[in-house]
Amino acid sequence: MKVEGEYVFNGPREEVWELVRDPEVLATALPGTQSLNQVSENEYQGKMHVRVGPVAGVFSGRVVVSDEVQPESYTLTVEGRGSPGFAKGTGQVQLTDQGDGTTLMKYEGEVQIGGKVASVGQRLLDTASKSMIRQGLEALNKALQARVAQSEGQEEVEYNLPSEAKFAAAVAKDMAGEMLSSSRMIWMAVAVIIVIVIVAVIWMSRGGG
Amino acid sequence: MAKKYVGQRMTRTEDPRLLTGQALFVDDVDLPDMLHAAFLRSDYAHARLRSIDVSAARSRPGVVAVYTAEDMGDAWRPGPPLVSPPPTVEDIVFHSRTQVPLVKDKVRLAGEPLAVVIAESRYIAEDALEDILVDLEPLGAVVDLEKALEPDAPLVHDDLDSNLAAHLIQEKGDYAVAREKADLVIRRRILIDRGTAAAMENRGIVAHWDEKNQQLTLWDTTQAPIPIRNGLAGMFGLSTHQVRVIAPFVGGGFGPKIMMFYPEEVVLTWATLKLGRPIKWIEDRRENFFATNQERGQVHDAELALTRDGRILGLRDDFIHDTGAYDPYGLTVPLNTQCHALGPYEIPNYYGELKVVFTNRPIVSPLRGAGRSQGVFVIERLLDLAAKELGIDPVEIRKRNLLSPDVFPYDNKIIDQAFVPLVYDSGNYRPVLEKAAAMIDYDRFLNEEQPRLRTEGRHVGIGIVSFIETTGIGPYEGARVTVETSGRINVATGVGTQGQGHFTSFAQIAADQLGVSPRDVHLVTGDTSQFHWGTGTFASRGAVVAGNAIHAAATTVRDKVLKLASKVLETPEEELELDDGQVRVADIPQRSISLGELAVRANPLRGAVEPGTEPGLEATAYFGPKYGATASGAHAMIIEVDPETMMVEIKRYVLVEDCGTVINPLIVEGQLHGGVALGIGNSYYEQLMYDENGQLLNASFADYLVPTASEVPRVEIAHLETPSPLNPLGSKGVGEGGCIPVPALFAQALEDALADYDIEILEAPMSPNKLFELLQGKEKEQ
Amino acid sequence: MSDQFTVTVTVNGTQYERTVEPRLLLSDFLRHDLGLTGTHVGCEHGVCGACTIVFDGEPVRSCLMFAVQADGHQILTVEGLGTPENLHPLQEAFWEAHGVQCGFCTPGFLMSLVPFLEGNPYPTEEEIREAISGNLCRCTGYQHIVEAVQLAAVKMRT
Repeated sequence: MKVEGEYVFNGPREEVWELVRDPEVLATALPGTQSLNQVSENEYQGKMHVRVGPVAGVFSGRVVVSDEVQPESYTLTVEGRGSPGFAKGTGQVQLTDQGDGTTLMKYEGEVQIGGKVASVGQRLLDTASKSMIRQGLEALNKALQARVAQSEGQEEVEYNLPSEAKFAAAVAKDMAGEMLSSSRMIWMAVAVIIVIVIVAVIWMSRGGG
Repeated sequence: MAKKYVGQRMTRTEDPRLLTGQALFVDDVDLPDMLHAAFLRSDYAHARLRSIDVSAARSRPGVVAVYTAEDMGDAWRPGPPLVSPPPTVEDIVFHSRTQVPLVKDKVRLAGEPLAVVIAESRYIAEDALEDILVDLEPLGAVVDLEKALEPDAPLVHDDLDSNLAAHLIQEKGDYAVAREKADLVIRRRILIDRGTAAAMENRGIVAHWDEKNQQLTLWDTTQAPIPIRNGLAGMFGLSTHQVRVIAPFVGGGFGPKIMMFYPEEVVLTWATLKLGRPIKWIEDRRENFFATNQERGQVHDAELALTRDGRILGLRDDFIHDTGAYDPYGLTVPLNTQCHALGPYEIPNYYGELKVVFTNRPIVSPLRGAGRSQGVFVIERLLDLAAKELGIDPVEIRKRNLLSPDVFPYDNKIIDQAFVPLVYDSGNYRPVLEKAAAMIDYDRFLNEEQPRLRTEGRHVGIGIVSFIETTGIGPYEGARVTVETSGRINVATGVGTQGQGHFTSFAQIAADQLGVSPRDVHLVTGDTSQFHWGTGTFASRGAVVAGNAIHAAATTVRDKVLKLASKVLETPEEELELDDGQVRVADIPQRSISLGELAVRANPLRGAVEPGTEPGLEATAYFGPKYGATASGAHAMIIEVDPETMMVEIKRYVLVEDCGTVINPLIVEGQLHGGVALGIGNSYYEQLMYDENGQLLNASFADYLVPTASEVPRVEIAHLETPSPLNPLGSKGVGEGGCIPVPALFAQALEDALADYDIEILEAPMSPNKLFELLQGKEKEQ
Repeated sequence: MSDQFTVTVTVNGTQYERTVEPRLLLSDFLRHDLGLTGTHVGCEHGVCGACTIVFDGEPVRSCLMFAVQADGHQILTVEGLGTPENLHPLQEAFWEAHGVQCGFCTPGFLMSLVPFLEGNPYPTEEEIREAISGNLCRCTGYQHIVEAVQLAAVKMRT
C-alpha cells in the first residue's frame, strides 16, 4: 500500500534536520510514545500506545535507518507489532530548502498493515491517521518555530505540547468531521511509522554523535 | 375425516418462546462454576510459530489456565476429514489436510488460534490475551488462486509439492467433437469471490465435563449434533453414551455451522476434561469473519458451444476452487458447482477440469448454495452472452434447451457430492420458466415499458434465469414417534433446527398420520440424548429426509394404534378412523377411545408383552433416499440503476419454485425470502476483501454489508409441484433455492439496464465500485 | 483491579441494584448479571441491532452502552413486552405473519418497533422499512417482518 505526503516547516532545512533528531521534542510530539532504545548502530526499538476508534493498544516498533544523505534524505525500514495488529514498511524522507525560510518535507513509502486495525479500522484509519500526522507535524513545526525564535534572540515562544487526552480528542473530532472518507490509504500506519522513524532518527543522531 | 395438515399455512408452534425471549440459545446457558474462554488468534495469514510465552497470562488474577498446542500433548491432532474423495472418479488427485486445534508450528490463515485463555470472565480472558508473547515469523501469503499454482508460490502445506489440494476431470460425451460442430463458441473467464454466512448468532460452545457422573455435555451452535457427539467421544476416549450434545435454538446456520470439529469444539472439550469445570466460549463478530468457514471463491475458464439457433452442443468448464488453508470438506462444494453448471438444460457433451487449491485464507465449506450458485452463474452467463450474440431472447434460448418433462429420471452422468451420478428425479422446467415470465410481464416490459422508460433517460433492466437444485440427499435420518399417556405425541429426530420451523413442519407430518392437531405434537431436535442416529441439517434435506423418517415412524405408530384400538373397540381396523386425538368407529362416534388412554393400555402394568410386540405406542424409523431429489425454479426481476451513483433499486422480484410437495407454504415462503436476501447480498453488497497478505479488510458489519430492509424487495412467489418419486411425501428441499440463482439474475438484469453501455458482467459479487469501473471502460452508445 | 460502581436501574418495572465494573457492557449486564437473556448480542459494534432495548422510551443499542450509564434510568427489554401466554399485539402479529425464523434478531426488532409504532400508528411500508433498516435479519428477507408490523399497527389501533 502506497503512502505519501508532504508538509511545510517554518524554518530552514538545517534546523529541521536537527529538530527531527531531537529525541525530547519528538518523543512528546506524538503523545503515547512510551520508550525508545538504540539497539545497534542503525537500529532502534520503541513502544507506542496507539488508539484508533475502538482499537487501542501498544505497538512495539523497530526501525532501521539507511541511505542517509545529510541534510537531504534518508530511508527507513520499520516494523511494528502489538495487540492492534502489525505494520511493516519502507519509506523515503526528503527535506528541501524552499528558499524562503521554509523547508518542504516529502515522504513516500510502502506499508503493509494487518490484524485488528486492518480488519475493523479501514474507514477510521484514513481520518485518524491523517489527523495524527497533521497534529504531529504541526507540533513539530511549533517546536521548530520556538527554537528558531529563540535562536534569533526573540522572546521565548511558549508552546505547549498537547496532552494525550487532548490529542485523542482532536483526532476524534477530525474523524467525526470527515465521515465520508473512503480512501484506501492506511494513514495511521504512516503516523506510527513516521513518528517511530523520526524518533529513531533522533536517537541515532544522538548515539552516532 | 381427519384434516390434512401437510400443505397448510400453519403458524409456528415454537414462536411464542422466541418472541418473548424465553428460548434458550447457547450463550444463555449459565452453569454454576462456569469459566470463560478466549482465543489468541494470529494476525498473520502465513507464519512460522517460533515461540509462545503464556507465563504472564497465567499469572493474571482471574485466569485459571492458559493452554497452547504443546500443553495438549497427545490430544493434539488435526481433525478428521469429513468427506473423503469420490471413490468413483479415476485419476483423481486429492490431498487431505485438516484443521488443527491450536497452531503448533505454522499459521496458515489469519485468525488461526494460537492459544486459549480460560478465566473467571470473558473480560478477564480477553485482558489476558494481551499478556501472551508470540514470536511469529511472517511468510509470504498465498491468496490469489492462480498464483497459488505457480512453481515459486509459498507452500501452505510444506509436506506437499504444491498448493494443489485436488485435481479431477469429469466428462460426458465428447466436448471436443461438439465444439467442432458448433456455430458459436462463447468462451469467458468468470470470477466469483467469497462471502460469509453472517448468521446473526455467532458460534458458541459450553462444554461441561461432570467428573462425578463421568458425563460430558456440550451445548453447541452446530448443525450436526450427532456427528459431533460421535467424533468428540472418539477423540477423547469416551463412550458415546457419556457424551450429550445439545444444539438448542440456534440463531441461523446457513451451512458453516455444519463444519465439524472446529478448533474451539476440540479445545473446549479437552479443557473441560482437564479442569472439570464448565467452560463457555462465545465467538464475537470479528472472530466470526475468520474463525467460521466461508465459501464461494472460484476462477472459471468456461465455454459453451451452440448451434446458430441457440441449442447447446456442449459445455466446458475448467475452474480453480479455493478451499482455504485446509480441506476437511473434501470436494463437496466444487462438485456441486460442476453439476449445477449443467442446470435444467440438455447438455449432451461436457468436459470439466477441476483444480482445488490451498490458500492462506479461512476454510471453505458449504454456505447456503454450497457451490451450486457458482455453477448456475457460469451457465446462465454463457447462455445470456450467447443469446446476445445470436440475437435470441434470453427466455427463448432457455426454452430451446430445457429438458423436456418426459426424460425423467434423467441421468446427467457426472457425479455429484454424494458420489453417485447426478440423476434428476422429476421436474417440469418449461412451465416454471414461463410462469415466471408471465408473472413479471416479461414481454410487455420489454416491448412497452422499457422503451418508454429509456426515452425518459432511465436505466431499467429485466432479467430471468432458470436453475435446478439438488436437495434432500442421504445418507439418512431417523425419527422416533411416541404417543404419551396424556395424548400428546412426542417426535424426536436427530437433525438440528436453526430457524427452518422443524417444530411445526415435522409436527404437521406426524399429525396427519395420527389424527391430532400439530399443536399437540411435541418435537425434539438436536439433542443426542433424545435421538442419536443421523447426520445433520444441510443440503436442503431436513424436511425431505427427516420429514420422511417421521412420516414412516408415524405411519407405523398409526398401525399400532389401529391394531390395538381394533381389539379394544372390538371393531375391524377398516372401520376405524383417527381424528381429534381419538380413535373412533366410523358412523358410531360414541364408540371411541382417546389416544392417551390407548397408550396406557399399550403399556400394561400386568400381563406380559407378547412375542413380536413392543410396549407402548411408539416406533422408530429411518429414511435414506436413493439419491437426492432435484428441485427447480426460475427467478426474474426488474432493476433500475443510477449510472452516476451506481445505486440500484429492485422494482420487482418474482420467483417460481418447484420443491415437490409443500409441507407448510408459510415456512417455504419464508425460506425463499431469506434466500433471495442472501442472494442479493452475494450479488451486489457482500464480498470478503482480502489483501495480498491474506488480511481480511472488512471484518465488521460496518464494512461487510449484509442487506437491510432497504435493499431487499418484496418477492412474489408461485409454486409448481412435480412430486418427487424418491420419497413417500413427494417433497424436495427448498432451503437454498432462494439464493442460488440471484447473482446470475443480477448480472443479466444489470447488463440489460445498462444496455447502452454494452457491458459484460463476468464477476460475482458485483458492487457499485466494480460497476463504475466497468462503465468507465466503455463508450456510451445510444 | 478496576473500581466497582453501584448501578441502580429499573428494568421491566423492577428495580435492580448491582455492583459492576465500569467497562461492563449494558448488554452483558442485562443478560448475565440480571439473567434477562432475551436481549441478544450479534455484533458488539452497533450495526446489527439484535441488542436493541428501550431506554427511557428510546430504542438504544445496549452493546454500545456501559451498565454504569444506565444508573437511574428505565429500561424495557423483550421480557417486559409479553409472555408466551400473554403476547403483546406486536408479538402476536409477528407470530401470525411468520416474521420469526431463527428468532435471534427478533427481540431487537421488537424493541425497535415498540417506540416506532407508538410514534407512528399508521406507518406506510416505506416508513416501516426505514424504521427497521437498522436491524439486520439473515433469515426472513424482511418481507414477513414488514407484514407483521403492518398487522401490528392495525391490532394496536383497535
